[in-house]
Amino acid sequence: MMSLEQIAFLVLAAVALITAVGALLVRELVHTILWIAVFFLDVSAIYFLLDAPFLGVLQLGVYAGAVTVLLLFGVMLTRKRIFSREAVTGIDAVPLALALVTFVFVVTVVGELPQSAGTITSYDPSLLSETLFGTFGPWLLLLGLLMMGAVAGSIFLVREGREP
Amino acid sequence: MTDLSLVGFVGLSSALFAIGLFGILTRRNFILVLIAIEIAMNAAILNFVYFGAFSHGTAGLSGQAVAVVLIGFAATEVAVGLAIVLALNRLKGTINVAQANELKL
Repeated sequence: MMSLEQIAFLVLAAVALITAVGALLVRELVHTILWIAVFFLDVSAIYFLLDAPFLGVLQLGVYAGAVTVLLLFGVMLTRKRIFSREAVTGIDAVPLALALVTFVFVVTVVGELPQSAGTITSYDPSLLSETLFGTFGPWLLLLGLLMMGAVAGSIFLVREGREP
Repeated sequence: MTDLSLVGFVGLSSALFAIGLFGILTRRNFILVLIAIEIAMNAAILNFVYFGAFSHGTAGLSGQAVAVVLIGFAATEVAVGLAIVLALNRLKGTINVAQANELKL
């Protein structure tokens, strides 16, 4: 008899795999973005299953919200008709083999892990903020600097008045 | 507290990483390549949270903190990637990565 958490994990894992494959194989680019939005929502649900509610909310806001809208802008700004179809690219043998080899390699490493069911430790989100702004404070500062540089670089790349 | 085991989670994220790697190598549209990178990145970020949640002490907090920082990195990377897509579209009129042989300003 499976517990509720196991059933939830199996369903979430199946949805994650199906949406990830579907996003890469579907032919219309806008449909791809809808599939990837479902994928991000699913990953957010996995965070809630792992007792990490702050990460779940962050995933909803950053990925399901901001990244999806950014990708939609990318589609809208680079083509005249957003529902035009992609040219079908076949499934090449070499990349497929490489991906399978990577998967098998990681799964053999997984065999070394403890197989029994573990316990998930849950934390108070206020403890997370202490860790984030204490031990990981320099990382956050670095992230802020990187984001500032990224915004400056993006504006430089797309600014008006630069003709090829 | 739960009956979940680490093996299933790591199997899931390795499968997602393999799917992302396959997408990066095969897709020709720049936006699809960005999406495949995001799938692989999500799989990598999930690993930090699993291994933190299944260990003892304050390791879970460190895993979640690293995941927060990495989500920020990934969002930044999408923004810069989209800027490159727009610049490439203006320069070449296409966002096919096979034709992106020059990006000189």
